[in-house]
Amino acid sequence: MRGSALGRRQARAGRLFVAPNLAAVLVFLLFPLGFSLYLSFHSWDLFSPPRFVGVANYRRLFADDPLFYIALRNTAVFTVFTLVPTVAVSLGVAGLLNRKMRGVGVFRTLAFLPLVASTVAMAVVFRFILASDDGPANILLGRLGLGPVPWLTDPGWAMVSLSLVTVWKSVPFATVILLAAMQGVPENLHEAARIDGAGGVRRFLSITVPLIRGALSFVFVITVINSVQAFDQAFALTGSNGGPETGTYVLGIMLFQNAFRFYEVGYASALAWVIFAILLGFTLIQQWLARRAESEL
Amino acid sequence: MDRRTLLRTTALAGLMAAGGCASGDDDAVTFFFQARPEEARARQRIIDEFQRRRPDIRIRTLMSGPDPLQQMLTYCAGGKCPDVLMAWELLYAGLADRGVLVDLREFLDREPDYAARLRADGYASLRDTFGWDGGQYALPEQWSGVFVYYNRKLFEQAGIRPPTRWSEAWSFEEFLAAAQALTHADGDGHARQWGFVDAWVPYFSAALFGMNNGTEWFSPPVRPTRANLGDARFAAGFQFYADLAVRHRVAPSVGDRQSVSAQDLFRSGRAAMLVGGHWLYSEFAGHDGLDFDVTVLPVGPSGGPGAVTDIGSTGLAIAAASPRREQAWEFVKFATGPEGQAIIAESGLFVPVLRSAMESPGFAAAHPTLRDLAVFTEGPEHSRPLAVTPRWGKVEALLERGCNRVLRGAATAASLGGQTSADIDRVLRAAV
Repeated sequence: MRGSALGRRQARAGRLFVAPNLAAVLVFLLFPLGFSLYLSFHSWDLFSPPRFVGVANYRRLFADDPLFYIALRNTAVFTVFTLVPTVAVSLGVAGLLNRKMRGVGVFRTLAFLPLVASTVAMAVVFRFILASDDGPANILLGRLGLGPVPWLTDPGWAMVSLSLVTVWKSVPFATVILLAAMQGVPENLHEAARIDGAGGVRRFLSITVPLIRGALSFVFVITVINSVQAFDQAFALTGSNGGPETGTYVLGIMLFQNAFRFYEVGYASALAWVIFAILLGFTLIQQWLARRAESEL
Repeated sequence: MDRRTLLRTTALAGLMAAGGCASGDDDAVTFFFQARPEEARARQRIIDEFQRRRPDIRIRTLMSGPDPLQQMLTYCAGGKCPDVLMAWELLYAGLADRGVLVDLREFLDREPDYAARLRADGYASLRDTFGWDGGQYALPEQWSGVFVYYNRKLFEQAGIRPPTRWSEAWSFEEFLAAAQALTHADGDGHARQWGFVDAWVPYFSAALFGMNNGTEWFSPPVRPTRANLGDARFAAGFQFYADLAVRHRVAPSVGDRQSVSAQDLFRSGRAAMLVGGHWLYSEFAGHDGLDFDVTVLPVGPSGGPGAVTDIGSTGLAIAAASPRREQAWEFVKFATGPEGQAIIAESGLFVPVLRSAMESPGFAAAHPTLRDLAVFTEGPEHSRPLAVTPRWGKVEALLERGCNRVLRGAATAASLGGQTSADIDRVLRAAV
């Protein structure tokens, strides 16, 4: 049955309203995606016409480039170093913010401050804080009787520093999600548990955490995706080459370096699609695990 | 006026304004360069003088951000290549190889008399560093080799007289002894005054110490096929530089350098010697109470005779895609020729690249406090190229990775002859 004239007008107006966004998605998302897939099978330096090379870029990545495995290992380490503290700290912070107590407004402001800071500006401030000899971090350690730490000059410590800065930056977003989920937990469950004699920690672990499983799972996936795609903080904190040595050479740095310093755009596109495949695989596994856990409840 | 009419009028006005701006600058020659504020002022003097003489050619300047190569490639790949581009010894080959730059022989061959005069007045070392595949892709406009600034007062107090000419260089031992005599520590071991600091790229400076011990960094310097990091003489020179901080503690370590800049240390009298180029001169000269002079780099036991430095020259190039090549050439010819170079010499902000300008009274007058002007005037003759390869980006990433390990004391310079050299050589050979 054909709709009324009003219905048709509404549908046309709807299409018109959606059109700008749809155009933006096509031009700025789908076209670059398709073009990068096309480029990943080509050799292109931005000036010469792209030359079709088949799967050579992918073969080079897996068989001939030791730096890919270094970047992969560093990214995995960085993800673990970031994920565990981010989830743990944001759970704790959200738990505290969820309580009705004096001064919670000030605490909330402090907790959400990193969310509004620019990543690069923040990394510059941390470079100052983590300077080897005269940095405030080492001065503080010195007062505690601990030796200076080569935060940004030793490859191992540089990865720790990068993770610390990233955790500091990631916690507020994760906290917002977890706090929203916590506020949806029915108060009467806590009430009942309190009457049964359960303490705060017990109630948090046995009631709050299971009931915010969905939000936790989301935080988990988003943190992993952000970690695997990390670039700006590593670039600003430890330089464009992922130094010192290969200490912070993560996949994001490798991608940038190949595309915009070596002008091997096809090779960088292949790497981008490998990163996409890794993240897709990881997310699917995580979703499958989450669904299985839900069905067991 | 209803809302629809208002929107249409605003959109039209916007379009007209945009068109007006575009048409206003359409015929200007765009000039892309990177400069510190003082340098930008010197460039503006040259541009102003050119515009005074050639009011028919307008110049529009485009200042670079921190990564000029990336910016140039982005402009040019996007079809908006500036007409005149600043060219760096280490970076231009990547642009020349991709066909971004014009071979300037196109213009020089048309004016053989001018080309011959320029050739006779210039320095072959500087000119040849911009020669790629038989073409001339830029003309030099300043010599930017590095040397040693020293605090005259601190040197006099320690009774040290450094050399004044490249041909009469001091030895590594003499340099180390001076740095040790000029380093003073507090009771708790923290340095109160450093003998030596580096305001350049540390592994470039270290490579110069390697070169001053008898081996070039890359062979051949233009389109190299191998890096000489593993050569025993080069490694010894490189290690000498690393040891200044790591073993002898006469220079700030990698960690120390994070918290304070070398320029600040030298300016405040907390460092007696500083390695850097002429680009720092105006910064130090404008600082009251800092009595400084310049001397040459030291020579190792296997090096000499005389010290060498890097060419470090920057030049001016013209974009192959420029629709204003002729006007661009007129500007390049002026800035790199006798008239522009005379202005550069008088400004004191660059070391000129023509003998006539170098020997002019204006250049000496622009450096009134220096006694050892021969460090500048003889600099181009004692300059050697570092490396000219279109793969410099990749080579530099590998160098930084390997060399920083040595500079922080986690490995010896001899270790660079292993994997680092093999990786760099592979990249270099792929470009030949």
